[in-house]
Amino acid sequence: MSSVAPAVTAPTPPLEPPTEYLGYRVPPLGHRIIISGLYLVPSIVLLVGLPVAALGYLQTHSVALPIPIGTVTVFGFVLSILFAVRYVAKPTRLYGPMTMVTSGVGLLYLWLLYTQSTYTFSIPNATASIGLTYADLVALLMVVPVLKIVSGAVTTVEDLRAPTERLPYDFPA
Amino acid sequence: MAGTPLPKRRRPPRLYRTARTFRRLSAVALVLIVVFVAVVAFSALQVVRTKPGTGNLNTGFAANDTIALTGAFTLGNSGYFPISDFSLHFRVLTQSDVFLGATSAGPVNLPVGQNTSFPISLYFPLRSGGPAESLLTVNQYLEVFVWANATYGYLFPVSLALEDNKTWGAPFSDFQASVGSPYPNGSVPVTLSYQNGADLDEAGTIDFAINSTAGATCGTGAFPIAVPSKQSYQDTQTVAIASGCSLAGATLDAVYLSNGVAIPLPPETLP
Repeated sequence: MSSVAPAVTAPTPPLEPPTEYLGYRVPPLGHRIIISGLYLVPSIVLLVGLPVAALGYLQTHSVALPIPIGTVTVFGFVLSILFAVRYVAKPTRLYGPMTMVTSGVGLLYLWLLYTQSTYTFSIPNATASIGLTYADLVALLMVVPVLKIVSGAVTTVEDLRAPTERLPYDFPA
Repeated sequence: MAGTPLPKRRRPPRLYRTARTFRRLSAVALVLIVVFVAVVAFSALQVVRTKPGTGNLNTGFAANDTIALTGAFTLGNSGYFPISDFSLHFRVLTQSDVFLGATSAGPVNLPVGQNTSFPISLYFPLRSGGPAESLLTVNQYLEVFVWANATYGYLFPVSLALEDNKTWGAPFSDFQASVGSPYPNGSVPVTLSYQNGADLDEAGTIDFAINSTAGATCGTGAFPIAVPSKQSYQDTQTVAIASGCSLAGATLDAVYLSNGVAIPLPPETLP
């Protein structure tokens, strides 16, 4: 009598990392840093390059500037870097606070614009000057970072209550 | 066996949905504001392209010894937004910074697609010793200051300040009256000369009287005037002088009369 060969059983697959079990795949830190670095380029172009170019154009035509170029440069770089850091911190509990900090800096920047929101400039080679007040516009723009701050606060609370709850939706597998 | 992945369509948790809603609202608000500002800027350019302005101002003599500067400021709203609370202020000074007059218009709302004309009427009193006296006889540049205020695109209060030098041609530029040597019969030749530098034609008379230092009228006369714009005038008339009247230090007082308007000319002191 031949002995019955033991049933062949498939080898047990190795356990997948917990992220796979929960249905999300968080990009490694290195990838996130590289991607955030790539995001920096358009951010700096939008927040520093274009405004500074516009202000420089006014300056070369002897038109008074509504805001110093240095202020625009500093806030532009700080905001761009904060946007990048925020992206790197997206899978962590720092994401909510980073959102609030970034938007807070944006709000501060807008507040600075608000306090200097009456802009009077002389037209070169003419005895005319134009005054423009954009306080209402800046006040309206402040709604944007305020909404972001609220969003960041809610995310912070969510991360405190259930640290990985949002990851399957932010980083679906 | 691997863990069961979450279904693709699973409803996110409440807090996640709340945070996401705020993020989306923020993005929508930003996009709407940027689009609105772009449309307002483009619309404002359309208004500027209509070239609002005063055009030529007309000069004319008016009642109460005044000279009138009249015209209109025209503004066409060819943009997409109404111009709210538009107001306009004019101020005119002589070249030596003597205030002549001011006028203003508005505030009014200018609907989209409407051309609006604001009449400008400035009256400068020409009385002797008054601020506008030099306008009669001195060609000069008048300093015209214009201020305009309005709100455009509901959110943008705009102000415009403009300084312009307008050439002023005096209607009796270089006005001179002189008295020649007396004739044997006691009369004297009185010569009047000037240039009409204004943009108006003069028609009427210049009545004059020679008054002695004692206040007595030594003689009177009248020059008929018909001087087109930018033309010179010179004429001489013989005036009988009252006996015993001394012309030394006397003054020649002249008045331009036309269509019921009497404009006193600067007195000329005779040598």
